[in-house]
Amino acid sequence: MNQLIQSLVDALSSGATLGLAALAIGLVFGVIRLANFAQGEIITASAYSIIFTWQLGWYVAIPIALIIGIILSLLMEVGVFSRMRTATPATLLVASFALSFLLQRVYELLFTNNVQTAPVAPELARSISLGGIRVQMLSVATILIAGLLLFGLIQFLNKSIWGLQLQAAAADFRTARLVGIPASRVIGLSFVLSGVLAAAVAFVSTVKTGAVGPTFGIPIVVLALIGAVIGGIDKIYGALAGGFLVGFATSMLASWLPSDMSNFKDAFVFLLVIIVLIIRPSGLLVRGGTVRT
Amino acid sequence: MTERNLRWRLAPLWSLVSLLLLVYVVTLVNSFLGESVQVQMQYALVNLVIVVALYMFIGTSGVLSFGHVAFVALGAWTVGLLTIEPTLKRNLLSDMFPFLFDVQAPWLIAVLIGGLVGGLLAVLVGPVLMRLNGLQAGIATFALLLVVGQVLTYWSSIGPRSGQSMVGIPQVLDLQTTMLLAMATIVVAWLFQRTRPARLLRAAREDGIAAAASGINIVTQRTIAFALSGVVAGVAGGLFALTNRVVQASLFGIELTFITLAMLVLGGMLSLSGAVVGALVFSLIDLVLVRLQNGLEIGAFVVSIPQGSRPIILGVLLILMLIFRPSGLTGGREIVWPFRARAPLPGVPPTNE
Repeated sequence: MNQLIQSLVDALSSGATLGLAALAIGLVFGVIRLANFAQGEIITASAYSIIFTWQLGWYVAIPIALIIGIILSLLMEVGVFSRMRTATPATLLVASFALSFLLQRVYELLFTNNVQTAPVAPELARSISLGGIRVQMLSVATILIAGLLLFGLIQFLNKSIWGLQLQAAAADFRTARLVGIPASRVIGLSFVLSGVLAAAVAFVSTVKTGAVGPTFGIPIVVLALIGAVIGGIDKIYGALAGGFLVGFATSMLASWLPSDMSNFKDAFVFLLVIIVLIIRPSGLLVRGGTVRT
Repeated sequence: MTERNLRWRLAPLWSLVSLLLLVYVVTLVNSFLGESVQVQMQYALVNLVIVVALYMFIGTSGVLSFGHVAFVALGAWTVGLLTIEPTLKRNLLSDMFPFLFDVQAPWLIAVLIGGLVGGLLAVLVGPVLMRLNGLQAGIATFALLLVVGQVLTYWSSIGPRSGQSMVGIPQVLDLQTTMLLAMATIVVAWLFQRTRPARLLRAAREDGIAAAASGINIVTQRTIAFALSGVVAGVAGGLFALTNRVVQASLFGIELTFITLAMLVLGGMLSLSGAVVGALVFSLIDLVLVRLQNGLEIGAFVVSIPQGSRPIILGVLLILMLIFRPSGLTGGREIVWPFRARAPLPGVPPTNE
């Protein structure tokens, strides 16, 4: 029982992390049909900045990580993706692959292939006792951070004009423009929000590992992208739920697979993904219809 | 047969001959440039075969696949298992199924079996995966790549333990043989282009709804192309194993997938010429950059670029290509006979240019 609750808390936190990462991908995809694989490199950049600036205090490190995430995200849009508006989603995905590869090599050149380490928020790395059950402090913190961020984001999306415009554009970009929603604003906004989410993911991941290398973001973005697609990358909440599901399943498999099988946990998740895609190609949460491509 | 008619019939053959000549000339020139260039050229030819395999599926069907490197991995694995000395296998790969210790095959047979194993996986997963389109197809094939990668990494009954690699693959493949085999796969791809399944698939690529309405079973045709390209990718994997002579699951991951896909996109993914030209141009640029990184002497000057900048320059070039010429160097066309005006198709009036 005790172990079950522990593994559930871990799975919730891992699901929350990947849910945020997948949401970032889904926000951008909804607006410009770009499944941004280079989202992983935004996470890596924010993670590097957290590692390097943590000693100055969290009130310095976290704003800097946010700023770096937002700036890099916008730079990608301005430098590359805004010049490819007529490309197909497949071509855009290849371009984001190229960008990801390129940035990894830049990080290698700047920070070497070795991991950079720093104890980030060591006070979160303990386990605490909640009613006799020991759980990882970080898992609880991750769930709280993700919950707060999501609450804020949902308020923003549903209550503010800009948020509603973004939702409209994500639902149907062409019609949204016809009714006078400025394209550049919603596109820019989606990239800003994905930068913010990347910084949040970078924070919880660096607390967990305390070490960042050039390919830090890759495993996160691989799972997030897969999650976004099986949840329904076309719908903002579909992407979020898909990412959560993949993170949850990976963590549960890691806790409960027999030890001689645990190496294959990712293989099981990917098999699950293929099965979901076959049964519900347009996404688990999408009722009917097909994804516009 | 009139002269015009003859020219019209020979035109597609020229697109094949010119590609074979191109591969021959590039290999020949590079074989004079010292041993390190020769080795790099051999890797370039192996990559060329992978790109041709990618073209056979992606170019014909218009569906993105990130999964072909899984077939490459299986081909390499098969060749490794079939060509390493039995005693060496017993010592190094002790966890394997016992029957794998004794199976042996001459290298060329092993490469062909590798192709069949790649094709077999493609046939098994094809009927299911080929129902997907666009991004979903990309993600599902990507998941296939990751599953195969995980299984090869951790399942020590069919290979080395995780983190270790297969060593002791014999040195049997030279540059000339690699070139001939690469040419053979180009011929195979060219022949495939002219078959009925390939024509039906191209129709489906241009307009899926119209093609389906005309009675084309898209899933079946795609599966055929997927299986054939899986065979070619498996063969490429076998050649990779014999070239690299060390095989490890981590070699066949996201990076190889990205590099080979980049070559295809660079050349233009809708034509065989695009696949071949893309692979050769990418490899040649890479060769020059390696030279520059080590310092290239031109007359009295030494031109050099900083260490580690090679992949960055390649990445920037690819992104610029995608922005300014998304249809690739060849623009999705085949190479045509360059010395006379192109023969007009029967019934199409000649245009004034």
